[in-house]
Amino acid sequence: MSPWEALALLLLLATGALVVTLRNAIHAALALILNFLVLAGVYVGLDARFLGFIQVIVYAGAIVVLFLFVIMLLFAAQGEVGFDPLVRSKPLAALLALGVALALFSGLWGLNLAFTKDLQGGLPQALGPLLYGDWLFVLLAVGFLLMAATVVAVALVQPTRPLDALRPEERKEEKEVVR
Amino acid sequence: MSYLFTSALLFALGVYGVLTRRTAILVFLSIELMLNAANLSLVGFARAHGLEGQVAALMVIAIAAAEVAVGLGLIVAIFRHRESTAVDDLSELRG
Repeated sequence: MSPWEALALLLLLATGALVVTLRNAIHAALALILNFLVLAGVYVGLDARFLGFIQVIVYAGAIVVLFLFVIMLLFAAQGEVGFDPLVRSKPLAALLALGVALALFSGLWGLNLAFTKDLQGGLPQALGPLLYGDWLFVLLAVGFLLMAATVVAVALVQPTRPLDALRPEERKEEKEVVR
Repeated sequence: MSYLFTSALLFALGVYGVLTRRTAILVFLSIELMLNAANLSLVGFARAHGLEGQVAALMVIAIAAAEVAVGLGLIVAIFRHRESTAVDDLSELRG
């Protein structure tokens, strides 16, 4: 393991720990951006260059900014709100997370992998034939899913109209209901 | 191989965040961390099994974008009704 690799992995874990422990939600989101940027660098190092750039543009650029936008919109920067129904549950949660990590480790331990595949740098030229070949229907399904998600997001946050903003024919129906 | 172990640790960090955070938005942030840990392991495995892993990671990113749109829409809609995003306040299913 080269020193750069070790540094990148250490940064990944450190920023990940910041995301789950920082009290201010905005600081946590900023730590998540840092984590994603380091992850993009790791992707480039792992012969996944296209994915690295997508990570910067889509994740760090769009998704986390959307998070920051909603945090600021709802004034929800305060992380510790309400009462704590389970007092001192954090050690228990840490124990459970450690169990998950151990389970994953035990799965990875026995693997005997040879990292020798030629990935052609993970450039779009290499990914394109796969995306539009074997994965075409998956790609189309994901596109449909994105469209459905957009429609749902717009429908969810549509403001309810106040009563005096009803159209005249609707107002008549309202009266009949009252009577 | 060290990348795969790191991704396992990152996933565990996400699990810890989901279990301990008390606002819906921060729980959601931890879920994003877990998604990225899975992506890192997909990219790591792609070096041993071929480019399909990277294509799958690409799909995970696209689906995560859809999930964030719907999830944040839900959080905003719930905040309008309940004036709160604390998950303990939202523990009963009434409209």
